[in-house]
Amino acid sequence: MELDWSTLALEALNFLVLVWLLRHFFYRPVLAVIEKRQAETAKQIHDAEAVRQEAETLKSEYTARLTKQDEAHAAAQARLDAEIAAERGRRLTALATEIETERRRRETLEARERGEHEAALERQALVLATRFAARLLDRLAGPEVDAKLADLALAEIAAQAPEKFDGLRDTLRAADASIKVISAYPLDEPRRQAFAAALTRLAGRSLAPGFSEDATLKAGVYIMAGSWVLMANLRDELGFFASGFEHGD
Amino acid sequence: MRKTEFLELLAFHIGPLSIGATVLTTWLVMALLTGLAWFGTRRLSVATPSRLQTMLEGALLAMQHAIEAVAPGYAAQLLPFIGSLWVFIAAANLIGLVPGLASPTDNLSLTVALAMLVFFSVHWFGIRIDGFKAYLRHYLDPNPLFLPFHLLGEITRTLTLAIRLFGNMMSLELAALLVLLVAGFLVPVPLLMLHIVEALVQAYIFGMLALVYVAGALQFHELKRED
Repeated sequence: MELDWSTLALEALNFLVLVWLLRHFFYRPVLAVIEKRQAETAKQIHDAEAVRQEAETLKSEYTARLTKQDEAHAAAQARLDAEIAAERGRRLTALATEIETERRRRETLEARERGEHEAALERQALVLATRFAARLLDRLAGPEVDAKLADLALAEIAAQAPEKFDGLRDTLRAADASIKVISAYPLDEPRRQAFAAALTRLAGRSLAPGFSEDATLKAGVYIMAGSWVLMANLRDELGFFASGFEHGD
Repeated sequence: MRKTEFLELLAFHIGPLSIGATVLTTWLVMALLTGLAWFGTRRLSVATPSRLQTMLEGALLAMQHAIEAVAPGYAAQLLPFIGSLWVFIAAANLIGLVPGLASPTDNLSLTVALAMLVFFSVHWFGIRIDGFKAYLRHYLDPNPLFLPFHLLGEITRTLTLAIRLFGNMMSLELAALLVLLVAGFLVPVPLLMLHIVEALVQAYIFGMLALVYVAGALQFHELKRED
């Protein structure tokens, strides 16, 4: 354990030389490489950060655009829904109106058909009734009915006011006017005189009606003076009855 | 008693300078370290570093982080000196494991030289960063009465730095030599493994203490700046 000053000085110098050598061959180049790598890493991190920020920006823009599109889509959807609702309401209203019109038309049609059907039934019923009445009256027709109808005609003439027979009076006013009383069966004398008296009263002058028979009358009388006629017999009554129903009376 | 050295045969003098085994071994260590540094850094790659480059970068970053932990902000300035202390002392300690060579650190001249370099470097960095007057003023802090104690501390810590390294390495080699003499061949192998650990630990301690001393000088500057 001895201290050698020359060795001490040389070792101190050696160490300082070593520091310089290591600094030149070791520290500087390795630190330079490390710094370069760190710089590249920092640059990559910076680039990555820039890319990330760009991606974030794009993401934000995309999100905003998506939101805007969603809003536009929602608005368009709302408009479409409103239009659909309006169109639906309009079509429903039109359909309801059409249905109501159709219903009314059908009701009218049905009412008319029902009326026509009822009228047809009525006519058919009346035709049947007429046939039945005609057949019944045919069987009932006879001198008694004929007499009764003659009496009925006389009572009718007597009950009516004279003004209702102005046409007859105008016809009989002519000097050559003639009046015929046609019956299904021959009238007895009293009835003939009653008809003559009644017609004289209506004409306001003396008349001598001509009496004749027509079996087609079945029963009753048919009085004819020119164009004026008085029908009080089964044939004309049935005919009138039938024609009246055919005309809807 | 001292281990027989091959390089003692090559000792020579240049005038008053004695170039002994310690200096020659130091030159050998310097050549090896420089050669390794040159070989490892001749083809540096940023993208695809080799295993050796990765190892060198790892060692350098480890030293840089250790310095940064003790003296934040001064790693770039202190790394060449403190890093070289770690690397050189570790290599110098480990070269004693090579048969025919002795660790130059078991020579008091070398450890004192290194301790003196640490002593001067503390003042060098202190004055460089603080300024001459401001740095010297810290010896009067907190009271001028502490000046003798400051000076005594500067001398003693430098001495202990030199003696600690010298004592540990010399005693380790002496112990290995004694065991080899007493027990025979191969028996000192476990002791030689302990030599590896001790060599690295002593290098770390020496460099870390140097770093703490330098950081102490810088810490005064930092405290003043904070005030």
